[in-house]
Amino acid sequence: MTKKPSLMSKLGAPLLLVSLLAGCASTSGPVTEGGGNVTYGDAKAVETVTNEFGSTDLQMIAETMARSLSQHPSMRGQPLVSVSEVKNKTSEYIDTRSITNSVKNQLMKTGVRFATDASTMDAQTDELMRQNQTGLYKKSTAAKIGNMKGAKYILTGEITSIVKKNSSTKDVYYKFSLLLKNVEEGVDEWMDEKEIRKTSRR
Amino acid sequence: MKRTTNFRRLLGCLVVTAAALVGGVDAQAASAADKVEQLGQMRSLEVQSIRIVRRNDFLNVQADLLNTDRQTQQLFYRFKWLDNAGFTVGAEEGWKPVIVYGNQKKLIEAVAPVQAATDFRIELHSPDNNGRPQ
Repeated sequence: MTKKPSLMSKLGAPLLLVSLLAGCASTSGPVTEGGGNVTYGDAKAVETVTNEFGSTDLQMIAETMARSLSQHPSMRGQPLVSVSEVKNKTSEYIDTRSITNSVKNQLMKTGVRFATDASTMDAQTDELMRQNQTGLYKKSTAAKIGNMKGAKYILTGEITSIVKKNSSTKDVYYKFSLLLKNVEEGVDEWMDEKEIRKTSRR
Repeated sequence: MKRTTNFRRLLGCLVVTAAALVGGVDAQAASAADKVEQLGQMRSLEVQSIRIVRRNDFLNVQADLLNTDRQTQQLFYRFKWLDNAGFTVGAEEGWKPVIVYGNQKKLIEAVAPVQAATDFRIELHSPDNNGRPQ
């Protein structure tokens, strides 16, 4: 007596093939994976990995300063501003140029114009010298020496911190101060502060 | 549910009044339900009122938040700024953390990043009382 093949055994091989193909059929995307645990996150998310200075602090400071300064009457008429040094008086490494660059970036979108500052002076003067001293450039198109514009205001400031800790808690208080100074008159025209408190428990 | 509906109506009236006073603010965004975008439904935090004014050519917004709970609530918020055509203007804002103590009324305020901003949305997220969206 021969046993009739069941429905499952008849369909088994095709089903297996289909399921194998389906298993491989996920739509591929534009990702090159290296087997590691690398993921992209939200650059604007609130970052609380540690209580050291982080991206959220930088973003909050830059936004507060730029919005406050953009509303000040001294910014009407689009005066030239130069960004000076912001001193880091905390005990940790903080790239204050990155903060002032973010402030500058936001202010430029409101129409504020910036004069060359120390961070880009070398690149600019090198180009100016190249155009005037190498003899490689047409005189009519070369940028002239002696036409740089001086800034009416400079932005300067500091970041300080107070750190307190005991056996279970660490508390960090940051204060970022930014000051707009009239270069010719030596008058402080605008100032604002941003305070941030971060507390972590072990 | 009824409470939420009444609350939205109240906010709608407040925003309409504010928009009418400001002039230049697009009247189409008249309801608070249109202004506030919650990531989930907040149970303990309520947006009570929104005020808008244009100062020095920049849109200024203040929103009053109330913590109806006795416990401290963590809130994350950010603003989205829109121009007359409804397009976003300025760069995407970072989320900002705010602590609202028990039964505290907290003010959050913002200035538009560019003069072209005529309208806004407030994105809110409270991780401790985040219910399902309604």
